[in-house]
Amino acid sequence: MNTYICRYCRQPSDPNQPTCPLCGAPVDIRSHVSDTGWVEQPAIRDMARLQFGQSHCQIAGTMVPVAEFSLAPSDMIYFSHHVLLWTDPDARLGNMSMRGGWKRMMAGLPLIMVEAHGPGHVALSDNHAGEVVALPLQHGQQMWVREHRFLCATGNIGYDWNSNDVWYVTGTGDDQETHYPMGQFGDVFTARDAPGLLLLHSPGNTFIRDLHPGQSLLVQPSSLLYRDVSVRVNLHLEYPRNRGFAFWSNRWSYRNIWVRLHGPGRVAVQSVYQPPEDTEIIQRHSYATTHHW
Amino acid sequence: MTCYVPCVEMIQCRWCQAQNQPGATSCMTCGAPLDERDKVSDSGWREAPRLRDMTEFRFSASTCQVEGELVPVAEVNLHPQDGVYFEHHVLLWKDESVPLSSLNTGGGMKRSIGGMPHIVTVANGPGRIAFSRDAPGELVVLPLHPGMELDVREHAFLVASHSIQYSFVRIKGLVNLLHGGNGMYMDRFVTSGHPGVLMLHGNGNVLERTLRQGEKILVEPGGFLYKDSAVRMEAVQMPLKTGFMRHGMYLAEMTGPGRVGIQSMYVHHHAD
Repeated sequence: MNTYICRYCRQPSDPNQPTCPLCGAPVDIRSHVSDTGWVEQPAIRDMARLQFGQSHCQIAGTMVPVAEFSLAPSDMIYFSHHVLLWTDPDARLGNMSMRGGWKRMMAGLPLIMVEAHGPGHVALSDNHAGEVVALPLQHGQQMWVREHRFLCATGNIGYDWNSNDVWYVTGTGDDQETHYPMGQFGDVFTARDAPGLLLLHSPGNTFIRDLHPGQSLLVQPSSLLYRDVSVRVNLHLEYPRNRGFAFWSNRWSYRNIWVRLHGPGRVAVQSVYQPPEDTEIIQRHSYATTHHW
Repeated sequence: MTCYVPCVEMIQCRWCQAQNQPGATSCMTCGAPLDERDKVSDSGWREAPRLRDMTEFRFSASTCQVEGELVPVAEVNLHPQDGVYFEHHVLLWKDESVPLSSLNTGGGMKRSIGGMPHIVTVANGPGRIAFSRDAPGELVVLPLHPGMELDVREHAFLVASHSIQYSFVRIKGLVNLLHGGNGMYMDRFVTSGHPGVLMLHGNGNVLERTLRQGEKILVEPGGFLYKDSAVRMEAVQMPLKTGFMRHGMYLAEMTGPGRVGIQSMYVHHHAD
């Protein structure tokens, strides 16, 4: 069988299929690349099938797509309970134990993951208009994902989470507030013993870019969807030039809060995001680069 | 002399089963595209037909045109003898001459307590009137024939034609009320004398499945959109614990026979 490397999931794929069987990207379309190098992730076609283990996943719908799993007896997926849309009574659901419950609760992360074991059908969907992004992970491959973007993963993908270390503090005394523009924690997924499939839900459209070693890029913190773990991240504070008016706001609300991404590695952003609040002077912050225009 | 009658093969709509003239590209009864294949998942969920922009269909002596695809608008051109009813906050615009009145739903206090709109508004022809909800989604057109009864989750109903009777049913059982996630009441639409059309707004994508007698499916209550009244709905506890207090997780168990419709965008009923 001829193979080709899918330009979206970077895995050997079957060119005779209309869509990549690993990530669902259409095979028969031209890549949409912006002048600056952002590659638009094509939406998975309605009713496209993704293969993993002995099971498969079918994507239904295009506005808020549903990921419908047909699980073989030997396969398992896990997910946060609030993305479960329906299940047939045959699928066995159970809790997945996780460490750090208190910290996760304080950070607003789901406390408990749900495991679904085959045989049976389970369907998942998020509650934003957007796209399902499928990331097949090869043995040993790791991927960082921004919190709340995870839809589900297959059983052979390990789940961990760690601090993003991107924060700043506003206010003084008792009114101090710590802001985490990218979320306090990020999810880290690792294909441990065998390849696996990771599904994300991306609100809006999704764009991918490969950063060269040493190349850096500024993005809105909440737009970052996933990145290779080789990509480093730090806070970047940008103060536009103030042309003589409202001098008091120069270090106040008239600023941009970015994250700077350092290559090498792949990064993806979503087009729907929430800009950080910008109302008070930043008193302290995590390691940051700064620029005053 | 032999008279040859040309053999005219009608096209049956796969969504509402109505017969259409040869060459038609969308169903005259529900607006579903006739020149597209059904999209059915491996487990039998069928996508509601995505109505094309500016598709037009008929009910009684009136017409309805669907405009837009992200948050579709249903624009109804009412014949003088026809009327439609709706919740007043879905009204987008209307001709000045279209008279409005209220429909006596009964149970005003119960409806208020249940979080349902107190008044259902009626518009009578002639004239044009348009409706939309406030979230990305799909317009689901359900022609109802005499004898059909359909239950719809609260706040999903967009507009119905006057020949369909409107009532509401209380969701029975304490477990269903406390954990069902579908509120206290459901809208019930019944067709007795004449056929009519019911339009719903489903958030995100809408999928439908027909359950056989006794067949069961477990649905997140927030995703439930509509069902035939013959389908039994019960809240059942799953062998799972969620949240810091490790409270139980409940799903809506649907038991056939009949159709069940779900929407893919919803707020999880325990997410608050």
